[in-house]
Amino acid sequence: MSTDEVLASERRQLDETWSGRPGFIGWLTSVDHKSIGRRYIVTALVFFALAGIDALVMRLQLATPESELLGPDLYNQFFTVHGTTMMFLFAVPIVEALGIYFVPLMIGARNVAYPRLNALGYWVYLIGGVFLWTSFAIGVGPDTGWFSYVPLSGPEFTPGKRADVWAQTVTFTEIAALIAAVEIIVTTFKLRAPGMTLNRLPLFVWSMLVTAFMVLFAMSTVATASIMLALDRLVGMHFFNPAEGGDPLLWQHLFWFFGHPEVYIIFLPATGMISTVLPAFTRRPVFGYTILVFALLTTGFMSFALWVHHMLTTGIPHHGSSFFTAASILIAIPSGIQVFCWIASIWSGRPVFRTPLLFVAGFLFMFVMGGLTGVMVAAIPFDQQVHDTFFVVAHFHYVLVGGSVFPIFAAIYYWFPKLTGRMLSETLGRWHFGLFFAGLNLTFFPMHALGLAGMPRRVYTYRDELGWGDLNLLATIGAIVLALGVVVFAVNVVTSLRRGESAPDDPWGADSLEWATSSPPPAYNFHPVPAVGSRSPMWSAPPDLPQVTGLAFDKMEQLVTSTLDAVPDNRQEMPGPTIWPFVAALAIGVTFITSIFTPWGAVLGAALLLPPLLKWGWPKPKHEVHA
Amino acid sequence: MRSRLHCAGWAIAAAALGGCEGIQSALDPAGPHAALIARETGYLFAMAGTVFTIVMLALAYALFHRRAGRQPVADGTLARWVGGALAVTVVILLVNLVVDLRTQRALAGIGSDEALSIEVTGHQWWWEVEYVHEQPSRRLRTANEIHIPAGRPVLIELRSADVIHSFWVPKLHGKHDMIPGYTRTIRLQADAPGVFRGECAEFCGHQHANMALYVIAHPVEEFDRWYAQQLLPAPPPADAHAEAGQRVFLSKPCIVCHTIRGTPAGGRAAPDLTHLASRRTLAAGTLPNTREHLAGWVLDPHSAKPGVRMPQNRLSRNELDALLTYLEGLR
Amino acid sequence: MTEAERPVIDAAKLPSITFGYHGTTWWATAAFMVIEGTTLIVLLVSYVYLRRNFVEWPPPPTALPDLLVPTINLALLLFTIVPMALARRAAHSLDLHGVRVFLVSAVLLAAVTVVLRGFEFAALNVRWDSDAYGSSLWMLLGLHTTLLVIDLLESGAIAALMFSKGREPKHFVDVEEAAVYQWFLSISYVPVYVLIFLGPRLL
Repeated sequence: MSTDEVLASERRQLDETWSGRPGFIGWLTSVDHKSIGRRYIVTALVFFALAGIDALVMRLQLATPESELLGPDLYNQFFTVHGTTMMFLFAVPIVEALGIYFVPLMIGARNVAYPRLNALGYWVYLIGGVFLWTSFAIGVGPDTGWFSYVPLSGPEFTPGKRADVWAQTVTFTEIAALIAAVEIIVTTFKLRAPGMTLNRLPLFVWSMLVTAFMVLFAMSTVATASIMLALDRLVGMHFFNPAEGGDPLLWQHLFWFFGHPEVYIIFLPATGMISTVLPAFTRRPVFGYTILVFALLTTGFMSFALWVHHMLTTGIPHHGSSFFTAASILIAIPSGIQVFCWIASIWSGRPVFRTPLLFVAGFLFMFVMGGLTGVMVAAIPFDQQVHDTFFVVAHFHYVLVGGSVFPIFAAIYYWFPKLTGRMLSETLGRWHFGLFFAGLNLTFFPMHALGLAGMPRRVYTYRDELGWGDLNLLATIGAIVLALGVVVFAVNVVTSLRRGESAPDDPWGADSLEWATSSPPPAYNFHPVPAVGSRSPMWSAPPDLPQVTGLAFDKMEQLVTSTLDAVPDNRQEMPGPTIWPFVAALAIGVTFITSIFTPWGAVLGAALLLPPLLKWGWPKPKHEVHA
Repeated sequence: MRSRLHCAGWAIAAAALGGCEGIQSALDPAGPHAALIARETGYLFAMAGTVFTIVMLALAYALFHRRAGRQPVADGTLARWVGGALAVTVVILLVNLVVDLRTQRALAGIGSDEALSIEVTGHQWWWEVEYVHEQPSRRLRTANEIHIPAGRPVLIELRSADVIHSFWVPKLHGKHDMIPGYTRTIRLQADAPGVFRGECAEFCGHQHANMALYVIAHPVEEFDRWYAQQLLPAPPPADAHAEAGQRVFLSKPCIVCHTIRGTPAGGRAAPDLTHLASRRTLAAGTLPNTREHLAGWVLDPHSAKPGVRMPQNRLSRNELDALLTYLEGLR
Repeated sequence: MTEAERPVIDAAKLPSITFGYHGTTWWATAAFMVIEGTTLIVLLVSYVYLRRNFVEWPPPPTALPDLLVPTINLALLLFTIVPMALARRAAHSLDLHGVRVFLVSAVLLAAVTVVLRGFEFAALNVRWDSDAYGSSLWMLLGLHTTLLVIDLLESGAIAALMFSKGREPKHFVDVEEAAVYQWFLSISYVPVYVLIFLGPRLL
């Protein structure tokens, strides 16, 4: 047999070993990171669309003064569900989804380190999201804001179940986020291709790694806080009740200790996407790899020192607030460095004006604007005027939509061929970009002026005589344009999936390992398993791409390498498909949802959870004991 | 005039179409605190606008220069440019910090010889206002309007009776939260007589949008007259019709929540109505204070302010008419 | 150069079980300890934060928590480290008998600590819904108890696995993980104990 035929037969054998079960059962039992990652991406995009429609309705309400489209009851649910969905069900999950799909591919691994845990994370996330939106649909959507400040969200001022829905949704999604973070940390540390030392790690993987560490600290904090809130509400604890020695500011400290890093948890992976997309469309490695990694690390650390700047109007002691102002101003430095490095890369490269590059340029426009207004609101006196006004709404939409959604779109156009084996349409892509960019600026730029004119956030109506009508109408028109852009994107995805140009392995001539396998990748990702000798393995000559042999074909085996230098260390057998993560997620869902109604829900849940967890890890009797 | 000019400047900077007019604009300050903040705002817009323009020009150049046959730029050159940009960034940020700290210090240094001190308590969804005085008989409680003497600093103590609210009168000062269990103080000063609108700036539930207040600055003598007049108990009903109205008020659930000094009505859960007719608006800025609106409000507060704590009232035509006449007499 | 001519790294001779930071299990255990440690720290900080709202701690007329049972349980939890360490050492040398003996002893000890924990709640002398003081104590002890129970179930399952037919050499790695996690729980009880039972006496 020729070497090619040998390779082909080996691949057939691997395919048999690694492919999950077929059909619907296969879908429920799959533990392949690509399958989980793909559904994670689609789910997050569905929530993005839902929260977008939600926002559009809010814009219609605010288009004219004293409008009667939505009353306060509905409007308050709308903005709470919009914020909660965008933050907890879209922005964080989508970056984690892309991480779960692409981190293993970019480091040459065959799956994530804990495939079953990974599946559990997805199911828990899905149940949490469906729970929130079902509650919303039947009229018990949370209505105390995505930050759920106590005592408003406490038992006295929000009786009923609405705030409980919020607290449990947060706990659900944080569990999912924590699971994804553990996956990404362990996968990145242990499953890298031989030769991929930490200083050859692709920048996207670096950004996901830093983010995952931030998630460990930030999400544990908010999950704890949301459990404390739930206990205040459900069993009469008093953490946040001033009448019994509790403290409403404790909630704010805990929430923003999560909430500020959250912004960077969303933003850092987006910077990783920019650094990943740029080389392919400037035809050079991104400038300043070391500086960019350093910027990621410093941003990650510093973001935990900033939470108080969300509380500058609460009257915290003066010297303390100066520290936080200084920190808020200083965090602009690593962001600035990143922007300068990207512009330098474009300057010295040869730009290829495809859709991903358009989104990168749009990102730079939006993010620099949002970053500068961010530097402005770090000034305490100015913040006292614009805090909780539409100025801040404008600011953080420039940062979050500009700083995160643009890179995500760039990444989707870039990675779509790998995900699906089809190219997205370039023409529709340009329309998408144009409408989205124009719509965003039309929607959010006028809000700066509205905030300075005195319009507070979270108001369902405003008086005609205050003169805010024109700018609000403009913002609503912008929102419609923006929505059209998203519709074009949806059309592009659907039509390209059916009739799109089929994609070669490496359509962009890009530099990282995910392009070394077919589009879409096989169940086992790589054969032969690659090794690397540089930061841009696909741009290196073959000597830099040795191959790994000796992994089993009849078992799901993964090479484990050393943490720092990626020296081959041992082989690990990966677990196969199983239904138990799905069952366990259902049990967790039952626990959280029933415990809203009775504390016995927790006991019931524990009883339900035990069997699937035991079955999950218990080995199937395969062969005799040999130890 | 100077503030007009300033205002025009900011308007261009922010490309604001309507940001400068109105009685609730942060860009049209009417007191020393807001004026200092507006000055800082001007600096910040100038800084942000300049930096944004320069970075965008650099981006445009990077994207479009020498379309054909671009030569790669040496990494050393790139590093020098990035380093230079970084240095400029650091300098700008340090200048920002200095401007900010100086503004904070200047704000803290504005007049501390308060003419009077006022306790403002946030309620869902109205403002309780109480003028502090050593003599209990000179203490004055009112709602939703704060009258102050122009040109004199006043000390305001902020509290909340239920959830977190935020006290914000943009033309006079930035906002300060009212947090249950905490007391915060701020100083306000209006340079000249005038009317300034404010709104609750922390989401506080259903009717957060309809929780406005007015600060009304008077010349000093006029303020003293207003204060003396407000200290008086409610005027007795002027005629039999109004007297019938008072009987309606006192026989209905109104007295559970409202106070009218000089009558047995002493509820504290809702605004003091002793001088209701002297106020500009009803229900914390929700409705103009006219007879028609008052009638609608008394019968069905929920149509104008859904979710408000006040219940609907069933009144006969005659009862309502008498009640309105009585309430309109509460000057 | 074709595929076949590329340099080759042969993985066939690499081991398939490793302990400590060589394997993936160690890292995941560490990550979960970071998550749970952060949660504990959040609760400890909340406790100290809420302390400032009280003149006296515990607020009168609440009695001080009792010390006897909690102190015994602290000692017991710390002692559990020993059999777990021996079980871990046995696992490293793939000594099934040693693992069985020490792991089962450790699990039995852990079961006793869980039972005693029930009496520790009674020793708090305050209800969770009486005030923020009571809530802080119950929450801290409640979280640690939850982790303790989960760990008991997990260690119990691993011990049972050591007696089952489906056992494979790779499950020795799970023994190590159970040991490391038990250490974390034992040691993390020290600050919890100090704040809950000594805090009201000292703060």
